[in-house]
Amino acid sequence: MSGGVYGGDEVGALVFDPGHSSLRVGYAGEDSPKFDIPSWVGIVEDPETNEKKYFVDTVALHVPRKGCEVVNYMKEGMIEDWDTFEKVLDYSYEKCIKSESQYHPILFSEATWNARGKRERLCELVFEKYQVPAFFLVKSAVLAAFANGRSTGLVLDSGATHTSAIPVHDGYVLQHAIVKSPLGGDFLLNQANNFLKESQVDIVPTYMIADKQLVKEGERPKWTKKNNLVEVTASWHNYMKREVVRDFQQTMLHCSEAPYEEEAIASIPTEPYEFPTGYNNEYGTERYRITESLFDPSYIKGVGSTMLGMSHVVSTSIGLCDIDLRPSLYSGVIVTGGNSLLNGYVERLNRDLSSRTPPNMRFKLISATGTTERRFGSWIGGSILASLGSFQQMWISKQEYEESGKSQVDRKCP
Amino acid sequence: MASGVKVSDEIHQAYTEIKKGKKYRYIIFHIKDDKEICIETYGDRDAAYDDYLQHLSNVGPDQCRYGLYDFEYEHACQGTSDTTKQKLFLMSWCPDTAKIKKKMLYSSSFDALKHALEGVGKYIQATDMAEASYECVLEKCRSTDRS
Repeated sequence: MSGGVYGGDEVGALVFDPGHSSLRVGYAGEDSPKFDIPSWVGIVEDPETNEKKYFVDTVALHVPRKGCEVVNYMKEGMIEDWDTFEKVLDYSYEKCIKSESQYHPILFSEATWNARGKRERLCELVFEKYQVPAFFLVKSAVLAAFANGRSTGLVLDSGATHTSAIPVHDGYVLQHAIVKSPLGGDFLLNQANNFLKESQVDIVPTYMIADKQLVKEGERPKWTKKNNLVEVTASWHNYMKREVVRDFQQTMLHCSEAPYEEEAIASIPTEPYEFPTGYNNEYGTERYRITESLFDPSYIKGVGSTMLGMSHVVSTSIGLCDIDLRPSLYSGVIVTGGNSLLNGYVERLNRDLSSRTPPNMRFKLISATGTTERRFGSWIGGSILASLGSFQQMWISKQEYEESGKSQVDRKCP
Repeated sequence: MASGVKVSDEIHQAYTEIKKGKKYRYIIFHIKDDKEICIETYGDRDAAYDDYLQHLSNVGPDQCRYGLYDFEYEHACQGTSDTTKQKLFLMSWCPDTAKIKKKMLYSSSFDALKHALEGVGKYIQATDMAEASYECVLEKCRSTDRS
């Protein structure tokens, strides 16, 4: 039984791609998502009535409010806090899409290891609460592989909370061979944070600063604090602090092209960076040393290096696959995810993996060149898929849901 | 997961002709109007592999195709002299330079074509000329042969 056909390209389908750092929302058929809503949400609970107020999206979230706790509704790439997630969906319909949910079929991407209960719950939510006419759920790794012109390949998705290697064969994920490593964007952020702490840089979030003065390199910053600051929660303050470090991470960190060597790196010119307080300094070898831990976990301070580096994740995952499949996986390693935008990431990975590839196999690293294509790789894949004329018969229609219930999602969306 | 693209009926007929009748050397398919996989051209029995590659590069760097090729190569089993072996392979040609929409369409519909053409010896994914080259294809075809 096939679902209703929603006629040609003009379906106005929506594509949602939830990730740990943000939820990407937009219309199918477009080149990039229209909205990128942070997965961090501010919640203020009224102590008397226990009523919760939610603050979604960057602008609302960055305003200091009394008693505003910051939470993330995602956990390990899956939706965990459904109440908050619903609020974010409400927000995206109301403020971003500005249309009613019952007019748009929606396509969701999901983590490859998404639990069955969560898939069904999502299906139930969109049909019951949002009354969508049609729904579909696709694994984000499959979307990323298809968007790079491959139905078989190994997807290396380096996101905020972790980096995972996911083998895809003929458009299906080989579940048993997925390898995950906690080395992702957040890990790097913590490393950068530790480094700044060690070098005694005082990280002050922008909301506290009223005024700053120009100081010489490495001198104590001269800044004045805003005087009418409200009492904020620790979670919100930390969130704002992380935003400062995130900027440092994104602009300054760089992957070394070859395994880190102090002497070679020292010859690279240093670069200046100024913090919101006005404190500025030149950074050289540190920029490379922090990222080295992604590729060589023995650089991680404090913990035993049981974690897998980037190239190790890939080779372990391929090693778990059938021997006949390995050549086709090595010849199609697809890089996606926001963390892969780190300067020099792809070049370094290419080098590390070339030396790991067995001599009788070809190795090819595939990565989208543009930053949006790489960051929103799976969203773009979903966008194209949902806009294909032929795809319109694949949706789970509302009628089908009403007839067979939420288990339909397990049957139609493998 | 599949895109829902259908395989046109003429393909089954042509497939029998190339597999049993040995009428053509290769067939090139394309997706018509984003809906149906159809035949674009046939290659004569005496066409060379280069003709096939030529055709793939002629369609332009932003276009994708599927190719079915009746590949012949020399193969020697242990203790015997060289024999000519024939193997059909099905190739998905999605060059890196193609539009992302095309890549998505062709790679997500490859499965449908695979199911329609039963008994193909080898499936090859090519995203650049090096992967579609004679040497590379030969290597892939030989990889599962006994020596």
